[in-house]
Amino acid sequence: MDNSFKNDEKLYRAVYPPNISSMYWKSDGSVSSAAFADPNGLSVERGYYRKDEDVVSAMQMRFTGSIIRVYVKNCRDIGAEVRYLPSNNSPYHSEIHGSATTPLLSKTQRRYLAEKASIILSSL
Amino acid sequence: MIIARQMDVRANIKKYFDIAYHGEAVVVPRKQDRNVVIISEAEYRLLEQLKRASAYNDLLTDGIGKKGKISVSAKENVKARNKEKLSVIKNLKDDWNGNGAPAFSDELIAKISDLIDELMIQPEIFPTALGTIQLEYDNSGHDHMEIEIGLQDEAEIFIVNYNGKESFENITVSTAAINDRIKDFYG
Repeated sequence: MDNSFKNDEKLYRAVYPPNISSMYWKSDGSVSSAAFADPNGLSVERGYYRKDEDVVSAMQMRFTGSIIRVYVKNCRDIGAEVRYLPSNNSPYHSEIHGSATTPLLSKTQRRYLAEKASIILSSL
Repeated sequence: MIIARQMDVRANIKKYFDIAYHGEAVVVPRKQDRNVVIISEAEYRLLEQLKRASAYNDLLTDGIGKKGKISVSAKENVKARNKEKLSVIKNLKDDWNGNGAPAFSDELIAKISDLIDELMIQPEIFPTALGTIQLEYDNSGHDHMEIEIGLQDEAEIFIVNYNGKESFENITVSTAAINDRIKDFYG
């Protein structure tokens, strides 16, 4: 794996806090854009073309809450950058940044990703 | 909806997958009524979304508190739901998002609590990792409004209309100013 991402690669995000499952779910069942606000960059796990269930199983080794998914293309469509940043906890760890110089996603970007997000695992 | 025998599906799986993909459910009868239905991923996601919305509404009327869920009194009361959610947000500790998000100050919690008491229409409220609380509204015309409130005297309002047009505005955080925006938003 390197820092190259194709548009159709999936990115998975753990929804915190894991023990409060309904925190970011809206009354219509969609996700609030607030779940995509992080001044340090939005942590995600890159799918690297693994099956959804395999990614979920791997993430559940470290996390018990809900998981949502977007595509790299969704990020690029609104000018966000995806960076591959493997960590001690995960070789798949990546981040979504608002731009080359700004880790925080703009409100426009957060809203767009919230609309595009699919809920892969709901602990609700 | 169509019904297809299991052996037909096995022999023509691509055909039935394409049928399901294009929006028609394929029912496959099996022995002992252990039938299955083949649907598209889009249909599945929609059903899951509806299930979550239904479960969310059940939470509003569930008077029995359960660990990890936000419960309200037996009477369906959106304001009470927001107050309870605010108490959950208040108890979040530093690093609650696993990436350094700060806990929420008592001052901000009190500010939002006062707003919840006075707003003419209750929002949906959500914490952010920026130390702010986001109030959200969605009207029947599919417009969307976010008001992000922190300790500052001013808040930013972000509106996305049904046609995708965006607008931003800064306002002084007060019940009157926010109620004016709510009136404009709902017409």
